[in-house]
Amino acid sequence: MKRPLQMTLLLLAGIGLLRVSLFTDLYLRYVKEGMRPLLIASGALLILLGVADAVSYGRRRGGEEHTDHGNESHGHHHSTTPRAAWLLFLPVLSLLLYAPPALGAYTASRAAPKAITHQDDFDPLPGISPLPITLSDFTRRVQQDRTKAIRGRTVQMAGFVTPGQQGDSWFLTRIMISCCAADAQSVKVRIYGTPALPTNTWVAVTGTWHPRGTLGTSSAAAALDAQSEEKIAKPVNAYTDALPLTPTR
Amino acid sequence: MQRTHERTEAPDTDGAARDETAPDWFRFWPLLLLGAATVPGTVLYFGGRWMETPAMQAWRTVCLAVTVQALPFLLLGTALSGAINAFVPARVFSRVLPRRPVLAVPVAGMAGAVLPGCECASVPVANSLIARGVTPAAAFAFLLSAPAINPVVLTATAVAFPGHPAMVAARLLASLGTAAVMGWLWLWLGRAEWLRPKLRHSGHQVGGSRWREFRAGFQHDFLHAGGFLVVGAMAAATFNVAVPRSVLEAFSGSPWLSVAFLAALAIVLAVCSEADAFVAASLSGFSPVARLAFMVVGPMVDLKLIALQAGTFGRAFAVRFSAATTVVAVLSSSLIGGALL
Repeated sequence: MKRPLQMTLLLLAGIGLLRVSLFTDLYLRYVKEGMRPLLIASGALLILLGVADAVSYGRRRGGEEHTDHGNESHGHHHSTTPRAAWLLFLPVLSLLLYAPPALGAYTASRAAPKAITHQDDFDPLPGISPLPITLSDFTRRVQQDRTKAIRGRTVQMAGFVTPGQQGDSWFLTRIMISCCAADAQSVKVRIYGTPALPTNTWVAVTGTWHPRGTLGTSSAAAALDAQSEEKIAKPVNAYTDALPLTPTR
Repeated sequence: MQRTHERTEAPDTDGAARDETAPDWFRFWPLLLLGAATVPGTVLYFGGRWMETPAMQAWRTVCLAVTVQALPFLLLGTALSGAINAFVPARVFSRVLPRRPVLAVPVAGMAGAVLPGCECASVPVANSLIARGVTPAAAFAFLLSAPAINPVVLTATAVAFPGHPAMVAARLLASLGTAAVMGWLWLWLGRAEWLRPKLRHSGHQVGGSRWREFRAGFQHDFLHAGGFLVVGAMAAATFNVAVPRSVLEAFSGSPWLSVAFLAALAIVLAVCSEADAFVAASLSGFSPVARLAFMVVGPMVDLKLIALQAGTFGRAFAVRFSAATTVVAVLSSSLIGGALL
């Protein structure tokens, strides 16, 4: 790889990283929120490296022009310059021009289900109705809460649509990541009673527990009889399962 | 002067060749024009359609995610490696490490605890350590232990397995044990010719500017390792998308198969070492020993690491070293996991 190309690659990589982390929230499609400072620092460092390289290249070229009487010079030999570096253009251009979307229904229907953590003591549910609740909390209430506080309660949950295998139901889904999108895990609640909107649409669903299995034990199905559903905007940080259901940003 | 001479000749021969061939292809210009008008459009259209299928989108997302996640740590590692090369005199290492390689190996293994970050950072650092005269066996012990036993990773493990401090201890011991055994194994069986000779890391040259040496080494290492990182990310994304997780359940029954299977899964998934504890925690159908094997093998051997090592040390080394490390890591986690968990 020629020296000017190396500079271009470094500069583009830096700009691409800054674009997804500093100027937009695109980085949230790939990594956790906590990576942001590291990504911004890396982007700045890459730009600095590219500029420093350009400056030293220009200075040396200027110097050689005097000695070589203006002949075109490619600087010193670069036999060790890595050919593999060309591959870096793929992610760099992807970051700059064509950032792939966040993982959705395709991954959710294949990813490992997120292990629902075990909980022994449950606080009484707040009295508001419908009660906003996360998919994980709902599953935990249904399968672990021996006080059966969820029985008869109208709850509201939000997620995206994953088609169900059976015709009469679909999955309300969230994908969660612990480090980057390579370790995605999903949590799903089966929805009965309302027609599925197009795959990957973000919706808020209101309804009551779909009685199947014994409530408060692991035989209870994480399922909901929906009364209503409405489209919502995709949350900024889609890889979480958190309240509030409809983000304000 | 000689080079200048060659340069001035080159354009002449080029120009002559063009003059002869030009009329030949020029005769078919309507066809060429038609091709130029339709082929790129068609390729772009169908290529674009193919790239927009859900599987390809997921592949691109995972591939980019692995790369973006690793880039800051790769930068840290290559910057450190450049700094070691340019600023740290070789005598520092000979003073810190025991003179006998057999003793230097475990010391270097334990020194891995000071490099926070995931495995991408440790490959270039180990490379520059070797270049600065550290015995390769000790550098490899460092390479293996650093991503597995640093405080960030151990804390993540404790968070992922609440109420199971034994898992953290088992991970620490099994990883350290594997690193030390691999270092000693290299002393016993390793051959220098498996390592690619490296001219670049020659240390500080008298009369050269340290700052320029640092910058050149940093840039070269980053571009080089970055390219191989992309190879590894592509391979990992392919397995990630192509292998449905439902396959996992089939292997969770048998204790021995499950250890081997989760070790293999750690290799192909290439989850970074700060996150693999959470993935291991989610594999609830498997025995604790199998999950320990997942966490011990993952930071030491995976697709992106093999690609990085092949790029840094050469293919002959990467294949042998990764295979041996996998065997040692599985044995060590079975032994320590059997005793502690």
